[in-house]
Amino acid sequence: MKYVRVAFITLLAGVLVVLPLYVESTYALHMMILIFINVLVGSSWNILGGYTGQYSVGHAAYFGIGAYTTMILMQFKQVAPWWGVWAGCGMALAIAIVIGWICFRLRGPYFVLASIAVAEIFRVSALNVKNLTNGAEGILVTEVPPLKFGGTVITDWSTKVPFYYTGLAFVFVIIVVSALVYRSKLGYYFQAIREDQDAAHSLGINPTLYKNTALAISAVFTSLAGSLYGVYVGFIDPSTVLQLDLSVQIVMICIIGGIGTIAGPVVGAALLVPLSEALRSNAITDALIKAGVVNAESKVGAFLKENLAHAHVLIYGILVVIVILFMPEGVIGFFRKGIGRRWQRS
Amino acid sequence: MQSLISGILIGGVYALIGIGLTMIFGVMRVINFAHGELLMVGMYVTYYLFTLAHVDPFLSIFVVGPVLFLFGALLQKVFINRVLNALPQNQILLTIGLGLIMSNSIMLAFTSDYKILTTKYSSSSVTWGGISISSPLVISFAITCAITAALYWFLLKTDTGQAIRATAQDREAARLMGINVRWMSILAFGLGSALAGTAGALISPTYYIFPQVGSVFTLKAFVITVLGGMGSVIGATLGGVLIGIAESVGGVYFGSGWKEVVVFVLFLLVLLFKPSGLLGKSRT
Repeated sequence: MKYVRVAFITLLAGVLVVLPLYVESTYALHMMILIFINVLVGSSWNILGGYTGQYSVGHAAYFGIGAYTTMILMQFKQVAPWWGVWAGCGMALAIAIVIGWICFRLRGPYFVLASIAVAEIFRVSALNVKNLTNGAEGILVTEVPPLKFGGTVITDWSTKVPFYYTGLAFVFVIIVVSALVYRSKLGYYFQAIREDQDAAHSLGINPTLYKNTALAISAVFTSLAGSLYGVYVGFIDPSTVLQLDLSVQIVMICIIGGIGTIAGPVVGAALLVPLSEALRSNAITDALIKAGVVNAESKVGAFLKENLAHAHVLIYGILVVIVILFMPEGVIGFFRKGIGRRWQRS
Repeated sequence: MQSLISGILIGGVYALIGIGLTMIFGVMRVINFAHGELLMVGMYVTYYLFTLAHVDPFLSIFVVGPVLFLFGALLQKVFINRVLNALPQNQILLTIGLGLIMSNSIMLAFTSDYKILTTKYSSSSVTWGGISISSPLVISFAITCAITAALYWFLLKTDTGQAIRATAQDREAARLMGINVRWMSILAFGLGSALAGTAGALISPTYYIFPQVGSVFTLKAFVITVLGGMGSVIGATLGGVLIGIAESVGGVYFGSGWKEVVVFVLFLLVLLFKPSGLLGKSRT
């Protein structure tokens, strides 16, 4: 089993590295970049929510902080994004320490509520501090400076390919970090806190310290994802990068994939992003019309074409309800159980 | 003074939202993240009753209440009941999912356009002692008081009400006393939803109606219930009025854009220094 898994992961990584050489469709690359960003946020959330058991529903705060720091530095201070990104990470780290210091006095549902409140404070503040954030108008970046190394231009960011490789590199880093944390002493401390905080405490694990450590790791990588998103899309505003919906989607990636596992967020993102993008871009409606299920001229067809695109979040809702009710360990846990049962039988 | 009074009046409606949430939490220990969405459904029912059948929004509570009661009871029976013993985080996510389904289905059915319900008295106001207050607010406050009073009477004096309170106090003991706990849960979720829906009906003349309006109120409902103490009906009433005042006074002092920040900061302070809420029993 172990060799199969290693071979599979190597193969997958290889395919992902060479993919842009063979795939020219910008739409496919766009989809992959979105998946990478979602894997990145999902895995970072997973370190706090999955390993340590602290369900933060306010991760949009760190995503937004990363995006805003990078974009503000780039647009108004002419700081190149590959420097700004680190400023964003530092910012997110500093804020995470303050937030953790406040919120980790609370447990369970109270922590969830506090994390939402904190994220909402950031959203409303971003709306109101107009001279820094442009308020509800958001920040639009027209041009990303070319990345130069010793005089030679490496990339001018004009295509999606450089973003693809940046995203892939980030994903590689977060997965390595996830795996390292999972198997390290730190990870065991995290899981001990998740299983029983009081028991962990009585064994000499300082819960506040390790919860804060988990949050710090999580916040830094979430902000990295936010920065990548901002620079890639070129536009951010409070209702896209600081909204409660985003926090919920981050959690759902993990829940649907399989919480507390390394591969969970990857599976979750790979399932959710194409699904919701297909709905958003009307691909499903088009397919239905092409297949002759729905007549494009009919009322139903027109209705679907008109409205289905707005409802891509609906799929998140339906999926999460199904997952919670019928497969509480996520898609991964569900299949793993299925395989285990079959092995036992034979 | 003006802002204080209008704060209290809005606070009445907030109290109604908070009481619904606190009742659901008290009986089932489930934090209902779809509470604002239930309110939003109430707003839409009111809006369509008004535009299609010309039912006055304040009279429509007699329709909205029962409809939302049935809807809530159904939600409890089909979904929530299955996760009563699951991790609290999973319960939260389930209700978030249900909320998403509600808001997005409404969006599919009625588009995401902002709707405004304009009645004859929408912009009229009552002037009393030099303070002018919009009349829909006054009417809705009166109705809220009546409903809250009726609810207190129901919970304190009737057998069913006492059974609900007993279930909230100790589920197992209530079961041993021969109370049908499952039925009480359905009743509590139904009542909570009905209260949210009624609150939606009451504010529909003064608010924009759109599918995402719910999340604003879900957050407010939490702030209110945590402020008053999770599970405490009196606390939720008090919390509602306090939040109403904080919003409206905060809006005057810091500008209307910042009034939500005032509320959330207040919320965090309460969570930190008295997480059991103003009237909640402290847990040992």
